[in-house]
Amino acid sequence: MLAFTLKRLLLLLPVFFVVSLVVFLIIHLVPGDPIDNLLRPGASPAQRLQIAAKYGLDRGLAEQYFVWMGRLLTGDLGTSIVQGRPVSALIAQNLPYSLQLGAAALLFSALVGIVAGVVAASFQGTRLDDGITGVILLGSTVPSFFLGLLLILVFAVWLGWVPISGARGWSSLILPVLATGLGGIALVARVTRIAMVETARQDFVMLLHAKGLSPLVIQLRHVLRHAMVPVVTILSLRIGWILGGTVTVEYVFARPGLGSLLIRALNQRDYPLVQGCLLMLAMAVILGTLMGDVVQAAMDPRQREARS
Amino acid sequence: MNRRQFLASTSAITLAAGLGLGAGQSARAAESEAVLVLSSSEVGAPNQDPIRASLLNTAAYLIYDRLVEQDVDQSYHPHLAESWETSADGMSWTFKLRQGVRFHDGEPFNAATVTWWIAKYRGSVNDYLTDAIDHAEAVDEHTVRFVMKRAEPNLIYNLASSFMGIPSPKSYDAAGDSYGVNEAIGTGPYKLESLVVGQETVLVANEDYAWGSDLSENKGAPYIKRLSLREIPDASTAFLELKTGGVGMLLGVPDEFLPQMQADKNIGFRSLPGFGVTYLMFNSKSEPFSDMALRQATALAIDQSAILKSVFSGVGLEAHQFLISSLAESKVEPKFEIRYDIAKANELLDKAGWARGSDGIRAKDGKALKIKLSTQSETEFRRTGEIVQAQLKALGMDVEIVTFDSSTIRDHLKKGEHQLAVRHYDWNNADILDWFYSSKNIPYPNSTMWDDPKSQELHDIAMHQSKTGDERVANFLHYHERLLSQFAFVPVHEPLQNVAFNNTLLEVPEKVRGPQLTQPTFVDMKTVA
Repeated sequence: MLAFTLKRLLLLLPVFFVVSLVVFLIIHLVPGDPIDNLLRPGASPAQRLQIAAKYGLDRGLAEQYFVWMGRLLTGDLGTSIVQGRPVSALIAQNLPYSLQLGAAALLFSALVGIVAGVVAASFQGTRLDDGITGVILLGSTVPSFFLGLLLILVFAVWLGWVPISGARGWSSLILPVLATGLGGIALVARVTRIAMVETARQDFVMLLHAKGLSPLVIQLRHVLRHAMVPVVTILSLRIGWILGGTVTVEYVFARPGLGSLLIRALNQRDYPLVQGCLLMLAMAVILGTLMGDVVQAAMDPRQREARS
Repeated sequence: MNRRQFLASTSAITLAAGLGLGAGQSARAAESEAVLVLSSSEVGAPNQDPIRASLLNTAAYLIYDRLVEQDVDQSYHPHLAESWETSADGMSWTFKLRQGVRFHDGEPFNAATVTWWIAKYRGSVNDYLTDAIDHAEAVDEHTVRFVMKRAEPNLIYNLASSFMGIPSPKSYDAAGDSYGVNEAIGTGPYKLESLVVGQETVLVANEDYAWGSDLSENKGAPYIKRLSLREIPDASTAFLELKTGGVGMLLGVPDEFLPQMQADKNIGFRSLPGFGVTYLMFNSKSEPFSDMALRQATALAIDQSAILKSVFSGVGLEAHQFLISSLAESKVEPKFEIRYDIAKANELLDKAGWARGSDGIRAKDGKALKIKLSTQSETEFRRTGEIVQAQLKALGMDVEIVTFDSSTIRDHLKKGEHQLAVRHYDWNNADILDWFYSSKNIPYPNSTMWDDPKSQELHDIAMHQSKTGDERVANFLHYHERLLSQFAFVPVHEPLQNVAFNNTLLEVPEKVRGPQLTQPTFVDMKTVA
């Protein structure tokens, strides 16, 4: 298992280099630059050059990449052009908010999704199954920013139960978690349902039925246990996705976090900060995938043997 | 790791993260507290350092005092300077400073503070504000003289800027590069409690304050003891927060929400005169707008009243010249004003040989009159572009709209790829003409690529040879009229600055003082008892 994990980690190195290059090029090839955002009417063209020189923006693109990469390897993500503070400090300040939202949303979609999947599988082919499948499908197709506004209208404006925006305690986390997590429920429920149905058809389940165990015990203790392998994999894969998904939700709810930081940095074309945030999000997706692999291998030894 | 362990660790992460973040939230004092939302143009201000910042938010007006304050009619009033006089040749300015003023850290404010402060701007991003000053010298404890490199009547405007708030020398030098983030020490009516960039600036009243400016009724400590200035980027969320009383005031109201807000009896408004103008920018270097007849015809085909009505719901003013209407330099002779006259516009194009085809589109020498209109994705830009497209179609011009985000359009303009663009600026000084039309600023910010020797001569006189304020106004008027006579742009709209507040939470003075809602009004505001 250790060898399997180490091998996977080693494979990350080339991926990291490719990701860093893409992240760097994406923002530098987008038109616009940070200097225009730093200057106001009244500033002189000489000041433009002064700022460009200060942040190395007067150098060639390749040179800028190697300078950035060199620093990156020593753990230095650079300094935000607009804020003048280390990118790593800004990320460290904002990341906990996104992790909090991401983890809560993941937990929410896992719990509701698994329960919905189990119920749908248990009542397979009935109206209840169709109803659950229909509702979750509908929920998964609504974009999270629209869902966010809808949730604000219903729960904050009409009912007045929770705050509309900001990050002031637990209550202000409820709507962002709903907006982020609802989309994931459909996915988790669908995977759970399919895995449950397939597991239920296997020989050992037949045997358990033949032994006269109660269907509820079989479903919850044996079928669910086996059906969890793909579900946990899907949840691991969603870790990175969900962090990326918080971007629009944080914007709508004016919540601090990596997403808010990234949107502001993008608008201001704050290259080092955009690169830092994108790299973090990309690494979260990659590490989520790795975690999915490792967890899957840990839960199902056949996978480990087949893939090592 | 088995299933149980995995789920347990996920829950632990959630709980730990939540507790860690929740612990920092303190109970807010309910008494005399106001929560405001900053306007979108102030979102993301990285610090409260007036000398080195290139973006500040409203908090800078409250933490710091300035030597002079500007009023809504653009007149200047004493604050930390009780009075000032300029020598006849404009080469020296002498300020009598207010006595008994202290910084939040207890340090005294005096002439030595001012000489230290002016010197600090050298080499900074805000150097331009003081570059006409050779040096500042202390005449006595409370008198300071600026010895000028050149006469600069606009210095008084710069001194009233939020970028010329005066910080405590002791704290400023001690904090070094980190000044303005965790600590910002001024003499103003509010002290900085905390700043989370992109989220919130929290201020608390300076109870020792006793030197309110001439523009405030209240000369002492502010009535509202705690102010949270929040940044909510999404306009719909901000609007809903105001409506439900989550926040007390929006410092920037998107025009699209005005009708809904006006229908709500709990929402009050204060409207200030415009701070900027929306206009059409030509690329005068390339065809067809290198031809003045084309520029003039286009300008005369734009009906400002229709745009005011359909895009801005009638809120604001029609613009017929380039500057905001509260500036003296905007009072050009009426004959120079650009006004809708479609008959004349058609006549100009007929005369220039642009004949209408069967589809209504004009053509000359086999080339159809097709142009690209560059605009931004924000609602008011896009909709203005659409109306302009329709109005120019009536002139026989086939307009295709190309939409960009606000950073990308600048790159597009810099490259000179545009023909006609919808633009907007916010600036309450006539020197905006220098920014956009000085030949030294080609290709950006002068993306009109305006390079006319006569204009430049008038520009140089206005910018560098004006000795007194009156002379400066007269010189800028000539420069402005020259640009209008050449149809270097098409003025379209002057929006009002709308401030909306929840009147169940806040009492706002009927008359707002200052060019924007800033310190003079904030210290007079009260919470509803």
